Amino acid sequence: MSRALWTAVAIAGAVLVETALTYLVASPGRYLDPFLLVVIYCALSFGETHGMLAGAAAGWVQDVMFGGRVLGLSALAKLVVGFSVGLAGGRFLIATTAARALVVLLAAVADALLVEWLASVFSVDSRGLPPLALAARATLSALVGGLLFALVDRRVARGRP
Amino acid sequence: MAQAAPARRSRFLLVGLILAHLTAISHQVDGGTGVSLLQRGVLGVLSPLQRGVGATAFLASELWRGWAFHRETYAENRRLRERLRELETELQLRSYRAQESVRLRELLALQQSVPLETIAAQVVSRDGVPWFRTLTLDKGEGDGVRLDAAVISATGVVGRVFATGPRAARVQVLLDRDSGAAAIVERSRVSGVVSGQVSGADAGGEDLALKYVPERADVVVGDVVLTSGLDRIFPKGLVIGRVRFVGDVTGLFRDVRVEPSARFSRLEEVLVLKSAPPPLETPRSVE
Repeated sequence: MSRALWTAVAIAGAVLVETALTYLVASPGRYLDPFLLVVIYCALSFGETHGMLAGAAAGWVQDVMFGGRVLGLSALAKLVVGFSVGLAGGRFLIATTAARALVVLLAAVADALLVEWLASVFSVDSRGLPPLALAARATLSALVGGLLFALVDRRVARGRP
Repeated sequence: MAQAAPARRSRFLLVGLILAHLTAISHQVDGGTGVSLLQRGVLGVLSPLQRGVGATAFLASELWRGWAFHRETYAENRRLRERLRELETELQLRSYRAQESVRLRELLALQQSVPLETIAAQVVSRDGVPWFRTLTLDKGEGDGVRLDAAVISATGVVGRVFATGPRAARVQVLLDRDSGAAAIVERSRVSGVVSGQVSGADAGGEDLALKYVPERADVVVGDVVLTSGLDRIFPKGLVIGRVRFVGDVTGLFRDVRVEPSARFSRLEEVLVLKSAPPPLETPRSVE
């Protein structure tokens, strides 16, 4: 499966997860961002260019499907996050589950701060995320991300000849 | 050198994309509709998928709620069944006590009406074998029960004691084919002997036979049959039953059957006469 196709499928999966979560908890975006996990995995696995493009694509889909009136804020934030994580993945050895979870944690914080900053720059009314909620969201994303990445890696490794 | 080119390219791409995004966002903030085509396209592609997932998630959520509700209902159902069983048991106990109270009141009334001294006894078993109609009482010689003592209940004559132990006594019920009690028809004063029916007892019947009733005796269905006291076992005037059938003459006597008033199958408490009844005058004979 090509990287682009894999990314498209992963983004579609994120749409499904986010949609399913809306039926289980109120405001699921306050707890977990599945699109961000896709972007981080792409960036760590395929580098900054792919991470950046995946971030832009995932961000746009997220904006269109779940975002507000102004589109592109999540896309721009995830673009930057995807590039940064990809760049970091090329510079440092981020292979263990704990290291990846840490990356997800930082990326989740950066993504949220970026979106809020962009919203304020463009004078877009947005509901701010309190620090505690931001920390909870980043922690949960890190936990889920670390686990999910390990599972996907194991699955990919098993598929290899 | 070879690695620097892609890196430079990706940075150019990054800058280009950032600028493009900023432009797109600025365009929207300014009030334009620069991304409506993209929005429509993405929504058009993904919204059916989202609807499908939404429906599935809704279904799963409903199933989950249904299952949770079912579990809760099941647990509640079990609790309620258990409670119902407890209440049923309690109700049965209360009902049993109420019935027992009625029976004991009846027995007390009988005890007060009988001029002789009596002992109240509990029936502890009945009809141990299929061939005889007997009862076992929880009172015996130690309590003053003697052989051939009359046993009566609130509803009628039961039988006589045929065996005694220190703390138990066996009673031959009137229904036994070998039993007998001197009887008299209350209305016409026709006398006879009441005993269990040979054929009826074998067939599981619950009727008594009134024997030795002359052919022309005045006995009709519905007549009350009492003890006559002639047998020196049962005191005079106790109710045995009511005539249920008056048949043809067989030999010298008429075939008369009596429905006993004592409820043999439901006897629980009885009275046992401590002493034999006093001798009586000979009753008027039947013409």
